[in-house]
Amino acid sequence: MSDFRLLSHDDDEVARGLRSLYAAPAGDAYWNELESRIMARVADVELGWWTELDRWVRPALAAAAVLLLATGLAMFRAHQMEADIAVDNMLSSPSVPISTAIRPSLDNDRDARIRFLFGCSTQEPTCSAQSKQR
Amino acid sequence: MKVDTGHGLMTATTISPPFGMTSFADGKPDERALVIAAQRGSSESFAALVRLHQRRAYAVCRAIVLTHEDAEDAVQEGFLHAFKALDRFLPDQPFGAWLYRIMANASLDLVRRRKVRDADELPETIPMPFRDPGESDELRRRLNMALTKLTDRQRSVIVLHDVEGFTHGEIGEMLGIPEGTARSDLHHARAALRRILKDVRSDL
Repeated sequence: MSDFRLLSHDDDEVARGLRSLYAAPAGDAYWNELESRIMARVADVELGWWTELDRWVRPALAAAAVLLLATGLAMFRAHQMEADIAVDNMLSSPSVPISTAIRPSLDNDRDARIRFLFGCSTQEPTCSAQSKQR
Repeated sequence: MKVDTGHGLMTATTISPPFGMTSFADGKPDERALVIAAQRGSSESFAALVRLHQRRAYAVCRAIVLTHEDAEDAVQEGFLHAFKALDRFLPDQPFGAWLYRIMANASLDLVRRRKVRDADELPETIPMPFRDPGESDELRRRLNMALTKLTDRQRSVIVLHDVEGFTHGEIGEMLGIPEGTARSDLHHARAALRRILKDVRSDL
């Protein structure tokens, strides 16, 4: 290419000059190498993801399993304790009549009347008062 | 699209498919299928996309940055960004247009970083691009000198248009400027180059 080619005032000539100046590297070896470099960086990103994930998956699974087991055990124990307490309560002799244990106080007149009509224990203060009134 | 086949230099335009093209001639892989496979995690498919587009991607970056080395860096950064953003790409869109926009952004980022870093030591001339021993050093020197008189954007526009054959619209999209601005930048860049080169001739 002549030095004076660009001096012809022709846009095509300018473009030709620019093309020679900005020509991409020729030769497949260069592009193969660039592709390798690009893919190596991409692989770093990919590996980064999977390695990080892989690093956390196993401990996370183990922790989840332990947590699940502990929760299950705690729930089982709590359930067993509740059952034991209930059985103990049933078997032990009540210090108050069962009716009181079930309904410890009569909160309103309506209940008091019902108890009066169907009969009630004299140990109950409400009943005693009502018996006296009678 | 302007393709130089006369001077014997292998340009990206002669190898890669045209801008935005999504289908290939017989025997070549379908770009859309490659994109979908890459989105599903196939490294080989992404490598095939790199192979298809790296020359043109380099050309886009080279038009924006100042040196061959910076263009290489920008291409790698661009492909990395593209890989990370691949799941957000809609396969029905033209992959090339999307990719070259990423490349242009990566290049512009690099230019901005270089400017901040080299603020105290601005170069007198644009560094020499890739060397071809067969070309005249004198021609390069004069053209380089002429190119220093252009703004960064004018230089990018004229290289993208006259060397790589991108349209005004495509250039505008890549550089984030209106098509009319790209057209006007090209006009001013050509006029400036003609004027400067005329001055050089009159000095001889």
